[in-house]
Amino acid sequence: MTRSPSTSPHNDESPINLERIRQKFPRWLRRFLPSGGGSHEDHHGKGMFGFTIFLLSESIVFLSFFFTYAVLRLTTPNWLPAGISGPEPSTFVIINTVILLSSSLVIQLAERSLNHHHLKQFRWLWLLTALMGTYFLIGQGIEWSQLHFGLRTGLLGATFYILTGFHGLHVLSGVILQVIMLVRSFIRGNYNQGHFGVSATTLFWHFVDGIWVILFSLLYLW
Amino acid sequence: MTHSSNEGATNPLEPERSNQQFNWRYYLHFSTDHKVIGVQYMVTTFTFFLIGGLLAMLIRGELVTPELNLVDRPLYNALFTLHGTVMIFLWIIPFNAGLANYLVPLMIGARDMAFPLLNALSFWLIPPAGILLISSFLLPNGPAQTGWWSYPPMSLQFPPGQPINGQLFWIISLILLGISSIMGAVNFVTTIVWLRAPGMTFFRMPVFVWSVLSAQLLQLINLPSLTGALILLMFDLSLGTNIFKPLEGGDPVIYQHLFWFYSHPAVYIMALPAFGIFAEVLPAFARNPLFGYRSLALASLGIALVSIFVWVHHMFASATPDWMRVLFAITSMLVAIPTGVKAFGWTATIWKGKLHLDTPMLFAMGGAAMFLFGGITGVMLAANSFDLHVNNTYFVVGHFHYIVFNTITMAIFAAIYFWFPKITGRMFAEGWGKLHFWLTFIGANLTFFPMHPLGLQGMVRRVASYPSEYQGWNIIASLGGFLLGVSVLPFIANAIGSILDGPRATDNPWEATGLEWTTSSPPPRDNFAEIPQVIFPPYNYGNPRAYGEDSATQSGEEVSSHNE
Amino acid sequence: MPQFFEYFLLTIFIAGLIFISHWIGQQAYTWMPPQATAEAQRVDDLFSFLTTIGAFILLGLVSMMLYSVLFYRAKPDDYSEGHPSRGNAKLEIFWTITPILLVAWIAFQNINIYKQLNILGLKQIVQFPLDAAPAEAAMVQNTPKPAAETIQVIAKQWNWRFRYPNDVINRELHLPVNESTRLNLQAEEVIHGFYIPEFRLRQDAIPGRDIAIVVTPIRTGKYRLQDAEFSGTYFALMQADVYVESREAYERWLARVAQQPIELVDAAVAEQSRSPRTLLKTGWYTGLSDSASVADSLSPKDGGNS
Ligand code: HEA
Ligand code: HEA
Ligand code: CUA
Ligand SMILES: [Cu+2]
Repeated sequence: MTRSPSTSPHNDESPINLERIRQKFPRWLRRFLPSGGGSHEDHHGKGMFGFTIFLLSESIVFLSFFFTYAVLRLTTPNWLPAGISGPEPSTFVIINTVILLSSSLVIQLAERSLNHHHLKQFRWLWLLTALMGTYFLIGQGIEWSQLHFGLRTGLLGATFYILTGFHGLHVLSGVILQVIMLVRSFIRGNYNQGHFGVSATTLFWHFVDGIWVILFSLLYLW
Repeated sequence: MTHSSNEGATNPLEPERSNQQFNWRYYLHFSTDHKVIGVQYMVTTFTFFLIGGLLAMLIRGELVTPELNLVDRPLYNALFTLHGTVMIFLWIIPFNAGLANYLVPLMIGARDMAFPLLNALSFWLIPPAGILLISSFLLPNGPAQTGWWSYPPMSLQFPPGQPINGQLFWIISLILLGISSIMGAVNFVTTIVWLRAPGMTFFRMPVFVWSVLSAQLLQLINLPSLTGALILLMFDLSLGTNIFKPLEGGDPVIYQHLFWFYSHPAVYIMALPAFGIFAEVLPAFARNPLFGYRSLALASLGIALVSIFVWVHHMFASATPDWMRVLFAITSMLVAIPTGVKAFGWTATIWKGKLHLDTPMLFAMGGAAMFLFGGITGVMLAANSFDLHVNNTYFVVGHFHYIVFNTITMAIFAAIYFWFPKITGRMFAEGWGKLHFWLTFIGANLTFFPMHPLGLQGMVRRVASYPSEYQGWNIIASLGGFLLGVSVLPFIANAIGSILDGPRATDNPWEATGLEWTTSSPPPRDNFAEIPQVIFPPYNYGNPRAYGEDSATQSGEEVSSHNE
Repeated sequence: MPQFFEYFLLTIFIAGLIFISHWIGQQAYTWMPPQATAEAQRVDDLFSFLTTIGAFILLGLVSMMLYSVLFYRAKPDDYSEGHPSRGNAKLEIFWTITPILLVAWIAFQNINIYKQLNILGLKQIVQFPLDAAPAEAAMVQNTPKPAAETIQVIAKQWNWRFRYPNDVINRELHLPVNESTRLNLQAEEVIHGFYIPEFRLRQDAIPGRDIAIVVTPIRTGKYRLQDAEFSGTYFALMQADVYVESREAYERWLARVAQQPIELVDAAVAEQSRSPRTLLKTGWYTGLSDSASVADSLSPKDGGNS
């Protein structure tokens, strides 16, 4: 998963030549500008290590929510308040889920293209992932607006919105990360020395998808 | 712009600094140097210690008499809530992070932490979070007043119709501090796993590094459950959900589980680095190798592991079924085993040594001895049949202050004195240090010992007024408390005076082993002129030049196999 | 023979330790309040046992440290090595096994005593209303042992009330001596803690949950029930008087309060209306805000039949 990128530079025609732009600025300002190309050291390995343990830690927050949800649901006699139907695994939700889960495959392909120095292909696949993520978010919003219960509708509403909301925030962060990485791919030479950011975003995306599988089973299938 | 690996050294954002000078102005900047960040952490958190201590002085002041006469009830409740919160989350935990920040890269032979920028961010979250918490004293209805556990549904009772309230400030502040801790933990674990110098195998790492590793793993595993609980609490408090509201179908006991799932390990997150400090200081002043190095190193991990599974011992009197009480009583007692290994190891290290009773050693030995007391009352509490008598009484308060103050804060002072020459390049005044020690040692026992008889007699905690039969012991505790308040004065005077005008320290004033003593005092920006090649086991006290230049003639491995 | 002599000294040292810690363990009984229930004796036995072991470990290790401090001092400038030993496998195994055995022993004693404690109501306090059984049924289910009386304990911010079998509600807890009484703990808004030091008994009451304990007091007298789970501003004042008395006296008292309810002042309300003079005054929200609540808690229904 944390494949070390090859260091041989690929044929990079990216439009933004950061070094040249940087030279146009006065010296005192230059130091505040981001530099392309990363560092010569292998930051990839320790970066991915750190990010992985961060995600493992993050998953405990979800675990604490799952625990709360499970205990509440197990000990509450009438989980659904009278006259209110719970979230249903409708076709709409299932399509949403399929889109999100398949985007994991797309992002993996994207990273692979980057490993093989197919920068253009990378950008397209990457953009596709971000669009799929956005689709999911919008779908989630529509789903929210169509439900018959709100945040304060008993334990059902509270847990449902907090869990899906917290997950949605993660999807949103993933999409934002993807946009940043996409923009950075237009900086000439940015990924020459490695693409920790891309690998981390990919891993994060898989994480977000994995959480959704559990969440979906708990909220819709249980 | 070049991207050379020693970019940090020439980072134009950071003012120039000469190696042999400790310039305090330098520490006011945003810096990514782990040593600067470490000092920033330590100074900031010490300030919070003074604030938390000031609150404790007010608490002890109120408790001199059975009646209310110093503070009114809401204020008293705010005092112990913030005292507990500040001391745990703004003093001991972040101080340990600061000390580890300073020492870990030096001890493992790295030039910096794995993620220097992240490191700086972790630190810079602390002042705003702390200020937010303290500032809640200015709110119309004051800060959170529900104890450092903030159990719902009580913590959800803040005056209705006030969206901005002390409880909310408390929650937000704790979430911020949690984020800071997680970023720090990622950084520490990565640093220790990835950045060890050549030859610095895991079993050559000082026990301090082992204990930091164990403590930070606990942060990663357990802290998020507190964050989760706080998020849910915030929803209940501010957005009208009912997860923890029993009368609306929710379950407050879930919060207790989530809270203690973190906050029990938190006590070992605080204690483990203190154990690490003992393991560095005791050998240096007993001139003996640390006895049973491997078992002590592994015991750190053992303590961390067991402590994940003991949290229900804080809920023996809650809605906890019998099987849970008995099971968690047993797991809690199991912690005594790896901890005992540590305690025996320390004692054996001192045994037949050549003791130098300098200030760091006094603090370390005093702390270790008082730890035994606190640990043993801990095992008593773990016996749930007995705990049902003293739960939420001063016996518990006495138990944990013997550890959080008499052990950990003492260990922290030992560490400050021990590494003071390394950090500042100056020696402190020994006489003032000894005065500080004796005031602290006597004050600590006077303050916290009387709490045990009080608790056994049934005095509950968190009360501003109490039946008059408890007054005698309370007066002693308060006098002891005020003595503690006085005891920090010689320390502060000594620290400031010595930084400004102490005698120059050599690189290794204690003739200690450990990589941090092989570099200059204070160390240069990149820590080592050349990354050391480690060929010796730690604590090579038989072999004072353990990390010397002509390593070929040394035979460290032989020493390691020397068993009596 | 220095070897022999060392062992001899060690034996004396350990014998002395055992003697002293045993003595301290015996003293432990006197540190506790009077024993008003049969359970209290058992808890005190456990505490004495723990104190003995604790004193043995503490004194043993601390005296070794003190010995080192007294007799193994270095000359001021002697930074040479003390002794080269880095460890000793046998010794390390020994001091891993010893705590294991001690812990096993302590755990055994603890479980043993917990079983005898007969705070039987603690069984199944977490009731899974999965089967949607009515709360009462669930309560009867975990009736641990027949109790002569059942008294309902109602905790609210910040007072205790007790509902007796004849439906009398009063602010005093009266218990017949040498009989088992079942206490059903209920909390109205927040968690409260039922704690009588002389009973060595402590249990939280949680709103919305039925938690029951059975007590068997064996010593007549007046005791104090103290809330032991922090519950807000006037937590410290949340106390009630407990009277353990003969069956006859108990019956007489019950009959009397049924006739003519005794008014007891609510300590929190009293303090609210006449707050003590303190150096620092905040005026922060106390939770007892309006006079309505004063009227409520002093109303006659509180002390009499309802
Ligand atoms: C950093 C601090 C720290 C440390 C290290 C400990 C260590 C231990 N603590 Fe403590 N504890 C707290 C901080 C700490 N505690 C705090 C803050 C609270 C209260 C929180 C609150 O309510 O606000 C608390 C409360 C607390 C309770 C809950 C009491 C109650 O609320 O009713 C219990 C119960 O089991 C407990 C047990 C223990 C045990 C078994 C240990 C063990 O780890 C101790 C192990 C050490 C030894 C035993 C000594 C050395 C060992 C030997 C020499 C070997 C031989 C010994 C034997 C076989 C006995 N602690
Ligand atoms: C974690 C660390 C820690 C530390 C170090 C301490 C240190 C001290 N604590 Fe406490 N304490 C807790 C953690 C800690 N505490 C916790 C978690 C609680 C439970 C809270 C709760 O129930 O929710 C608690 C509760 C608690 C209580 C019980 C309150 C109650 O239940 O009603 C008491 C009572 O005496 C007390 C006292 C003290 C004293 C006298 C000190 C002394 O050691 C302090 C010594 C202080 C100093 C040496 C500094 C004094 C400074 C000055 C005098 C100068 C100030 C100047 C400026 C600010 C400019 N603490
Ligand atoms: Cu009343 Cu707790
Ligand atoms: Cu604990």
